[in-house]
Amino acid sequence: MKFLIDIKVTLKEGIKDPQGLAAEAVLKNTDIDKTAKIKVGKFFSLILDAKNRKQASEKAVRISEEVLTNPNLEVYEILKVIEA
Amino acid sequence: MKSAVVVFPGTNCDRDTYEACRFFGWKCDYIRHDETNLQGYNVIFLPGGFSYGDYIRSGRLAKFSPVVAALKDYIKNKCGMTIGICNGFQILCESKLIDGVLTDNINNKFICSEENLIYQNTELTLPIAHKEGRYIAPDNFDKNLIFLKYKNNPNGSDMNIAGLYDKKNKILAMMPHPERAVFKETGNTDGRVIFEFIHKEALC
Repeated sequence: MKFLIDIKVTLKEGIKDPQGLAAEAVLKNTDIDKTAKIKVGKFFSLILDAKNRKQASEKAVRISEEVLTNPNLEVYEILKVIEA
Repeated sequence: MKSAVVVFPGTNCDRDTYEACRFFGWKCDYIRHDETNLQGYNVIFLPGGFSYGDYIRSGRLAKFSPVVAALKDYIKNKCGMTIGICNGFQILCESKLIDGVLTDNINNKFICSEENLIYQNTELTLPIAHKEGRYIAPDNFDKNLIFLKYKNNPNGSDMNIAGLYDKKNKILAMMPHPERAVFKETGNTDGRVIFEFIHKEALC
């Protein structure tokens, strides 16, 4: 079976995110929202083969931990695992 | 003294590093990223530039290359030295061969400049050229590992760290480019002291 998986990667809490800070500074100059906090991250969309949802999720965890992130720097969140 | 310069798809400081090694009279070979045997070399350079497009994050994909697997075996011998410069430093961090991690410069810019550095209580100037050079040290960081420090810390690194030396595994990692400061034609020869240090430490 094919599964569609979405993964979000952001910097770990406590690590300065200069892109987010720059975006926040710009937002202060608008009348939309002067105090919003912004984090910049990456989005990955995967399509992979697995026997079932559980195996697809396990693969997604391994890919996230070994390829998409460095645990010293980033955290990930698996947003969805759905049968494609 | 026999040295090797690893060439990944996207490496662009391989020639500079090769010529610098030759300047000191060392034998030098280019080694491809898919090489699986590094035995017989006194020193292995992971030079600057890019690797596999630096996709996902700098150095991230290079950690899966055959030459990095071979490097892990090479390090076990405790004989030769491994030197990571710029992208090489990023690869060493991503491969967990050096503690800590490198991320985007604090000013969010690619910085290309000559920087004043502190090396063994003396000052020297070396070029830097990177966008992801802000070093973040792990929690229980051993300050004795610091090898090079920025005077003005342009990228916002923890403790102004520009380079580390893992004495146990004989791994030297740095963001500045000593290979670009060897020949007098480049206007700066301060990089020679780094190569002299490597020469002294690598022989065994």
